[in-house]
Amino acid sequence: MFRVVHVVRLMRLNIEGMTLGVTNGGEDCRITITLDGDEAAVEHVARQLVKVIDVLEAHTYSPEQVTARELALVKINTDKMSLSDVQKMKSCRIVDSSPHSVVVEIVGSAREIDDFVASLTTSVLDIARTGVAALPKEVPA
Amino acid sequence: MVEALEREKVEYIFGMPGGANLPFYDALWDSKIKHVLVRHEQLGAHMADAYGRVSRRAGVCSATSGPGATNLVTGIATAYADSSPLVAITGQVAKAMTGKNGFQETDVIGLLTPITKYTVQPLSAAEIPSAIKKGFFIAQTGRPGPVLVDIPKDVQQEEVEITFPESVEIRGYRPSYPVDRQDIERAADMLAKAEKPVLFGGGGIRISDASLQFTAIAELLMSPVITTLQGKGTFPEDHPLSVGPIGMHGRAEANRIVQECDLLLAVGVRFSDRSTGTFHEFAPDAKIIHIDADPTEFNKNKLVDLSILGDANEVLTLLYDALLRRLTKRDDNNAWLKHLNQVREDLKGIPAYKDSYAELSGPKIVKLMRSILPPEAILTTGVGRHQMWCEIHFKVLRPRTWITSTGLGTMGFGLPAAIGAKFAAPNVPVVDFDGDGSFVMTEQALATAVEERIPVVSIIINDRSLGMVEQWQRLMYNRRFIGIRFQNIPDFVKLAGAYGVQGRTVGSLQEFGNALREGLRSDQPSVIEVPVSHEEDVFPFMPPGKGVKDTVYGTSKEMAVF
Repeated sequence: MFRVVHVVRLMRLNIEGMTLGVTNGGEDCRITITLDGDEAAVEHVARQLVKVIDVLEAHTYSPEQVTARELALVKINTDKMSLSDVQKMKSCRIVDSSPHSVVVEIVGSAREIDDFVASLTTSVLDIARTGVAALPKEVPA
Repeated sequence: MVEALEREKVEYIFGMPGGANLPFYDALWDSKIKHVLVRHEQLGAHMADAYGRVSRRAGVCSATSGPGATNLVTGIATAYADSSPLVAITGQVAKAMTGKNGFQETDVIGLLTPITKYTVQPLSAAEIPSAIKKGFFIAQTGRPGPVLVDIPKDVQQEEVEITFPESVEIRGYRPSYPVDRQDIERAADMLAKAEKPVLFGGGGIRISDASLQFTAIAELLMSPVITTLQGKGTFPEDHPLSVGPIGMHGRAEANRIVQECDLLLAVGVRFSDRSTGTFHEFAPDAKIIHIDADPTEFNKNKLVDLSILGDANEVLTLLYDALLRRLTKRDDNNAWLKHLNQVREDLKGIPAYKDSYAELSGPKIVKLMRSILPPEAILTTGVGRHQMWCEIHFKVLRPRTWITSTGLGTMGFGLPAAIGAKFAAPNVPVVDFDGDGSFVMTEQALATAVEERIPVVSIIINDRSLGMVEQWQRLMYNRRFIGIRFQNIPDFVKLAGAYGVQGRTVGSLQEFGNALREGLRSDQPSVIEVPVSHEEDVFPFMPPGKGVKDTVYGTSKEMAVF
């Protein structure tokens, strides 16, 4: 993990998001890194990553080549926005409620989450975002 | 730990004990592995590095936790930059003390990760055999490099039944790749068609022991051969086809001929900026074939037409066979070689190649040293003008006899590297050709040389200056000299004497020759100081960020009359 971050840092690329989860029955770990940088720099990072001993594979994708989702938890002030208004919102689901606030979860693209948070305006108390997890789409034969 | 090292056939450990590796040292007491005591851990890393470069087997250095481990940093970075196989073993504070800033704790894994090929920290004694096996396997295979094995003290002290693995499997690691035979055929076609081929050899040829194949292909094609600085000696430099190293301080004719070739066969090189100058101006008309064991080197600095992934030894063997099916040995009187001879003739008179210097000058000393040393002698260097004079004027005749820090450019590498090289090749004369600035950085390696009776000869080109920096300040910073001039200290003869080493200052070429011959005959280390002018710069010089056409062949005064 340390080596992976180091390789990206070395190329002066900004990490916009990084998610990590255990797969393959606990044997492996899949890391999705969202980077802002030109194609050559990102490609160079991927090639350097393959060289890291513990990295099994590294691939680069542009946004249109993958299915990408992010999860966000948003704490909403129910003194400012009524609970019934929150309940009416289709895009999110209430996962916890307290006397003065609720926590909702929303799953979607990074853009959808941005838009959702913007729509809540000043009612937002806190936000936790996971960063993007992505899988490549099937390449047409 | 000790048995795991013995199973890797480790002969020497260059290191220094301390609190966190005492259990390991205690176990070494019973081992036939010889411990070589250094006076600073960096020197142990350089010794292990040079041992690895000469023997092609990982050298081993050891240090305790904290300052012992941090002292390794420069040595390990040097080995990493030049792809040298090395295993560093550090003690670490006990697991229960980890992360609490206790006495002599540093996060050595965190420190060394960016400059190692791999790091491993066994957290139980049972993991030690596989960790060490893995360390050696990774350090010595593929593109070699340094590996750190960091072992907490309580793990060293644990008593458990241990089994030793015969082999290790590392899922994410591919040390070698099957060679693509179609690539070989394509390369052979390209080479057979080329009218003006040039072979370009780098350190990868030394690492994979492919000099024979490389030489055979050059002789088959009757192609001129250039090298990188690290690649010096991968092709005998007294061979008629050898044109010498290219680069910032390369041979003028090598830099010239590579610009004119129509095909460049680059083997085990990384197209570093110090070799090529500006990337886009380098070999502008050539199709380039690049052979390397590390796929990340392809198209990194210079776009190439064909890249062949694989071990140079195997690829060149296949390529030679493929060429034999297409052609017979070319005429040594072909137009391209005639042109090469013309280029040589044109450049023969450049000021840089004239012996217009004082009696004692870097180039003259280097040439005389070559004539005295046998072909199998190993030369190590520091970093600076003296190293560049060797690049230009010292013909390396055999592979793995030229041991120098090029990637990192570590001053102070020369003397400890000479000692490490001598351990790897005890029957071969070893000389450290050094500068005064470099030498004083690691002079205390003399103590190890004396204690171990290692008869290396240190030649110190003493200009009482950081000469290469002085040159840059003279040529590029308008002679605003700052931070370069040394007073006339230390007295190198007395310094040598303080270690019980025979030291002398020479006043003429003849005295130098006699001192060197005597040093080579001695069974003790010796130091020869050669006082030279601080104003003598190294030419040819391709200024940084510039290309071959901007190469300077001598001082402004000399160039005015050239």
